[in-house]
Amino acid sequence: MRVLVVDDNVSLAENLAELLELGGHSTSVATTGASALAEAVSNPPDVVVTDYRLPDMSGAVLLRSLRAAGVDAHAIVISAHTDEDTIAEARLTGATFVAKPVAPDALGRLIAGPR
Amino acid sequence: MQSLTFLENVKAYVGFDDASSALLLQAHPVVAPRFGPIVDDFYATIEAHAGARAAIKGGSAQIERLKGSLLRWIDEMFRGPHDEAYFQRRARIGHIHVKIDLPQVYMFTAMDRIRVQTQSVLRESTAFDADEAKRVATALDQILDIELAIMLETYREDLVAKNRTAERLATIGQLAAGIGHELRNPLGVVESSAFLVTRRLEQLQVSDPSVSRHMEKIAVEVQRSNKTISDLLELARSRPLSRRAVAARALLDAAVPAANLPAGVSVDVDAPAGLTLDCDPDQLTRVLTNLLINASQAMGGQGRIWIDARREGAVATLIVRDDGPGVPADVRPRIFEALFTTKAKGNGLGLALCRRIAEAHGGTVTLEDSERGAAFRVVIPDVGAAP
Repeated sequence: MRVLVVDDNVSLAENLAELLELGGHSTSVATTGASALAEAVSNPPDVVVTDYRLPDMSGAVLLRSLRAAGVDAHAIVISAHTDEDTIAEARLTGATFVAKPVAPDALGRLIAGPR
Repeated sequence: MQSLTFLENVKAYVGFDDASSALLLQAHPVVAPRFGPIVDDFYATIEAHAGARAAIKGGSAQIERLKGSLLRWIDEMFRGPHDEAYFQRRARIGHIHVKIDLPQVYMFTAMDRIRVQTQSVLRESTAFDADEAKRVATALDQILDIELAIMLETYREDLVAKNRTAERLATIGQLAAGIGHELRNPLGVVESSAFLVTRRLEQLQVSDPSVSRHMEKIAVEVQRSNKTISDLLELARSRPLSRRAVAARALLDAAVPAANLPAGVSVDVDAPAGLTLDCDPDQLTRVLTNLLINASQAMGGQGRIWIDARREGAVATLIVRDDGPGVPADVRPRIFEALFTTKAKGNGLGLALCRRIAEAHGGTVTLEDSERGAAFRVVIPDVGAAP
């Protein structure tokens, strides 16, 4: 599957991408909401894995913008912010919410899991 | 000049001296035959008042026990000696009042019951002449006021400790939210990089025991750091409880493996079939895993732990006991304070978190007096579900 990984921590985004590649997925990485949007529009992914707090927008805004741009990808929000508001807002966009830390070997299962 | 102890100070203030102690001792045989009815009246009054009754969660079995304690308490008050050891024993009772959340007002009203009853027995007695009777009555008033002073002092001490913990928790909360979230990402990078390196070495068919050991160390320490962050974040926020009736046996059977104890530690679970706990199972599991991890660490990863689950009236109790070295007397009063730890690798959050969760349930976590090892008692009262 094609997976777009979005996280403003470059190292983390790269590692997540590398883990997914080990699982046979192809990946691209973005570190801002705007660059993620641009990437998704030019190369529509099957899955978007995104941090919730991005420098230029929230994960929820990014996911809604993606839908508006016609990108119909399954969304997984990964966040250290596990307060109920964040979780509820993420789920409202139809995304799967996952709390950090995510064990390295658990990530592949998330992508492979039922949509 | 040596400063006066608390007891010496209040005794001197009200004018209670050795002669007063001697008068009370003289009055003992006069009042002793009436101790039983005085105690019965005392608890009948408590049962008639909802606010006071609420502090007694163990039902009639507990009241029977408490009656025995009160009988000894009154007996000792007349007998004396009113020395430091006496003060220490009385102070322990004061601490219990805080523990059971007895509103302070009932210390005064309950003490008034005892005052009225004991003075009335003395007035009816012909054992003393008029002058002596007055002096006995005064000594009795004085000792009862001293008792109140001791209760207020211990109440204040406990309240200060509680507030100190609350302040620390508030400070932790602010720090935790910021730092905890900041540390999650770098730890995530370390963890995933270690994982990727391990996978890469496997691909290259490189097998080096030293490298493996170090990669394993990185993984273990990252997990430990993640646990500290989780504990901090958990302490910092008060999550609403999601309470329901759960089978004690199932909850305990799931909590034991969740604690991930070393192979040298065995856990015996004793929970009657049919015992239910009215609790938030996730949060109570957290309490149990913390207690199990503590016990295991205290025993150096080698030994036995017993968990006993029981129902006592309208509360369920869980006792987690180990055969380790126990908790030293000097640290016992502080172990539930946030950031207090005696462990080289402890973060000082585990027991504070346990207490926070138990109190959110309207219950308690306490350290029991035990001859061997340490024993923690978790009390979870029923709120919604019928027992």
